[in-house]
Amino acid sequence: MLETRSLTKSFGAVHVTRSVSLKLERGERRVILGPNGAGKTTLFNLLVGELTPDGGSVHLAGEDVTALSVPRRARRGLSRSYQKNTLFDGLTVEENLALAAAVPTGHATRLWSDSLRQPEIRDTVAEVAEQVNLMPHLHAKVSEISYGVRRQLEVGVALATRPLVLLMDEPTSGVGPEMSKGFHDLLNNLPRDLTLLIIEHDMDLAFAVADTITVLNYGEVVFDGLPEEARGSKLLKDIYLGSWEDA
Amino acid sequence: MFRHTPLRYAVLAILAIAALMQAFTAGYFGLEILIEILILCLLVLALDLVAGFGGMVSLCHGALMGVGAYAFVALNVLADLDPWLAALGAVAITAAAAWIIGAICARSHGIYFIMATLAFGQMAYSYVFESPLFGGDDGMGGIDRFDLSAIGLDLNDSRSFALFCLAVLAAAYLFATAILRSGLGRSLAGVMHNEKRMKALGLNTWRIKADVFGLSGIIAGVAGVLAAQHIMFISPGLMNWTVSGEALVVVILGGLGTLVGPLVGAAAFVVMKHELGEVTTYWHLVVGVILIAVVMSRANGIFGWVEARWGDRIERRLTDATRSPAQKEVSTDA
Repeated sequence: MLETRSLTKSFGAVHVTRSVSLKLERGERRVILGPNGAGKTTLFNLLVGELTPDGGSVHLAGEDVTALSVPRRARRGLSRSYQKNTLFDGLTVEENLALAAAVPTGHATRLWSDSLRQPEIRDTVAEVAEQVNLMPHLHAKVSEISYGVRRQLEVGVALATRPLVLLMDEPTSGVGPEMSKGFHDLLNNLPRDLTLLIIEHDMDLAFAVADTITVLNYGEVVFDGLPEEARGSKLLKDIYLGSWEDA
Repeated sequence: MFRHTPLRYAVLAILAIAALMQAFTAGYFGLEILIEILILCLLVLALDLVAGFGGMVSLCHGALMGVGAYAFVALNVLADLDPWLAALGAVAITAAAAWIIGAICARSHGIYFIMATLAFGQMAYSYVFESPLFGGDDGMGGIDRFDLSAIGLDLNDSRSFALFCLAVLAAAYLFATAILRSGLGRSLAGVMHNEKRMKALGLNTWRIKADVFGLSGIIAGVAGVLAAQHIMFISPGLMNWTVSGEALVVVILGGLGTLVGPLVGAAAFVVMKHELGEVTTYWHLVVGVILIAVVMSRANGIFGWVEARWGDRIERRLTDATRSPAQKEVSTDA
């Protein structure tokens, strides 16, 4: 469903992505681990087109999308959520979800119809709100909801475009353990045919939801395998997991 | 996103009643002032659509109004077309020009967007200033007003023309609200709040901006046609950047991004101009002081200040008044 071939990116003399090749099957849930500065978010930016790679290619559902712009890749089914909330702050939760849901249906550019009143948009909004536990907050403005609920909305907005592949950049960033547990249920409730690529620092959550794990270090893939293999990997412990295992 | 509140309806009703009273009771000069206000209202409505709801602060809307006026004169006087057909053509030309300007400028932001629109406006100004076809700096006359004799209206009469302008403004206001409530308008709000995220969702944001800029050009074009018919004469001054600057001042003075506020601002600005102008030639200084006070008070213009102060209270009272006694009892118990 999503594949990168020898993806490379440098900022001056700093190589942030070194020949990264990944292949995600449809419905696969892969977690990307790696210490700060490993190039995880840069990889996401390369995948969605926010950064142009120096070399290599990105393929979505068999199509080479490397040369496509961010909106074009999104319309082909590649959606992402951000590490820092990137929401429409002055709008309500419902309006945030509706804005996203209107894009794939074409209502987002129409002059003759109110996207918020379209049954298909309302259905998507209700469905996504249910999936990410936002029903009680639908009519609240973003500025009125808690940080944890905003993280849920961040995922909800990305989901409302009905993507084939969803990239989630640290969905539990900044939330407490209780909320993090809630995210575990949230991720497990997502449709099984949706391909997920998740950057996550919460190891319990990462190992609970991942089908496969990829570890990046200095922009390079240093591990690619099953969660149980990752737990036993000495290399992984050395570069990342030591503190977690000890704790 | 745009929504009408009870306060906005109330202010619209007050403005409409005041305009109608003025139209039916004022003498010639009063009517001329009213027409001036109504045409300025059209221009600031067009500007608020892009600046207030799309974050596109344009310094070419005066020039767009000028394009409407000059295109109308070109089609009406030079090509000898019927005024209605000429007006239709002029509005289409203005909308097309606005869409092109919007499409080009939409890729820039902030000060660069403002400067790009200013450059377009000044290019148009320089062209008509030098063009012998449009009379150069002497301008052009010989403009016909619409013929509405079929419904018993003589638009050469100031009162009838004022009422006609009021009807056009009402239609333009409804058009602007329809845009803002459409999928396109909602996406524009999304682009203004967070353009990066709208792109990530799959939207060509430049296209949204260009489309709304083009639609705003329709209203500016209508303002241009009415301005040409009002004075029955056009000159390059209509396209000068100061017209755009004045429109921006009016939008900020009234309340950016409210649609209603700029109408209040237009009325306040023109009345101040004439009333203060009789007392002192330095009336701009007074307007400047008021504008600084409005900006420094951090209120969103005159209307924004009123809305922040009384909007919630009025809405709560109206909600209470419309609730049944049983509902009120439950709420009191709680």
